[in-house]
Amino acid sequence: MKTRACPPASSVVRGRFAVPWDEPKWVFGAVLATATTVAAVLAAVSILGARSSGTAGSATSSPPAHAATIFDGIPQHGAALGSPTAPVTLVEYADLQCPYCAQWARSALPVVTAMYVRTGKVRIVFKGLAFIGPDSEQALRTVNAAGLQDHLWDLVEGLYLRQGAENSGWVTDDLVRDVAGGVANLDARALLEARGAAGVDDAIRAAYTAAQTAGVRSTPAFEIGRTGGALEVVSVHSLGAAGITPAIEDALAR
Amino acid sequence: MTERALRLASGTLAAAGAAIMAYLLAVRLTGATIACSNGGCESVQHSAYSEILGVPAAALGLAGFVALLAAACMRGARASWAQAMLALTALLFSGYLLVVQIAVIGAICQWCVAADGLTTAIAALSLLRFRAATRQSTTPASSPIRNARPSPGQGGIRARARRT
Repeated sequence: MKTRACPPASSVVRGRFAVPWDEPKWVFGAVLATATTVAAVLAAVSILGARSSGTAGSATSSPPAHAATIFDGIPQHGAALGSPTAPVTLVEYADLQCPYCAQWARSALPVVTAMYVRTGKVRIVFKGLAFIGPDSEQALRTVNAAGLQDHLWDLVEGLYLRQGAENSGWVTDDLVRDVAGGVANLDARALLEARGAAGVDDAIRAAYTAAQTAGVRSTPAFEIGRTGGALEVVSVHSLGAAGITPAIEDALAR
Repeated sequence: MTERALRLASGTLAAAGAAIMAYLLAVRLTGATIACSNGGCESVQHSAYSEILGVPAAALGLAGFVALLAAACMRGARASWAQAMLALTALLFSGYLLVVQIAVIGAICQWCVAADGLTTAIAALSLLRFRAATRQSTTPASSPIRNARPSPGQGGIRARARRT
């Protein structure tokens, strides 16, 4: 005599009007698969976005003409860009790996340079910070070493334009040579050797102390004031030129 | 825990997560100084990983927590499935972002870690709700098991047994 087992509860339920979702394992599998897929897509988009935002240029490409031209004919003294007698001083605190600093350098700096620095109204002082990681430190040492040859801003702009993915080891000697090679009257070998110089250490320490005093907690951050006078922190609501020009006009009007 | 308690708990946690994300988004949009004791929040907030297709990660987080809150407010099996799916997605993606903070950026954002903790708790509660709701849906009121009644023959046997 044949014996017949009782059907499982789920199959009893699955009748004419039941939906296929009634199987717990099936539903859980669908939920888990969907969640995993969506999360994986988000992560992939995040990684691709981070890489593309950090690779405005590659280490093997030639420096864009933009880097070599926006400061042409403007005096540089150490970390300062512009005439020492300019009535207003704008201080920029930045990390060379910070994508927003690079964005400001691409969108606002050329306008500010053309309107205010080239015309002798404003001088800009770069105070570099290195809080994102090892490549920030390497890049900061590089630009401060270039500052010893009065070419800091050329290197700042060149590195921003070829900013790599964060802490990927993008600040290589080859990249530095390549960027420095596009700057007239800059000795690339001396620059590479000067990255560990005492003058570079001093500049980094001084910028860090100034940032602490100014209460800088993010970059880019700015201070502005009459040259030789007290500086005050500028609240920048946009990374375009329009975000900083009101503060410059205000300082010039004082 | 009852399904109502699970919904209430997960909804409360989702509201807390939404508040954290709203704060991070406000800081991002206004350029205000973020409250952070270790300095890692600034590094993470200014990292290239803080945006996805130009949308701040905090905005995505806010949308996610609001969606979780909405799912927690709704009754029914399908709402529990949606909540479980959203919570698992959030859990996996927040795990990815935590790895990025530690391994790539080298800084920890305390607000993000707090949101990760909330996400983990919501995921656990959502799975409990999912299990409860799915079990319930497999044994509806019309189930022959729940509504089983002794057949006339069985009842007759018991009746006869009592009489003897």
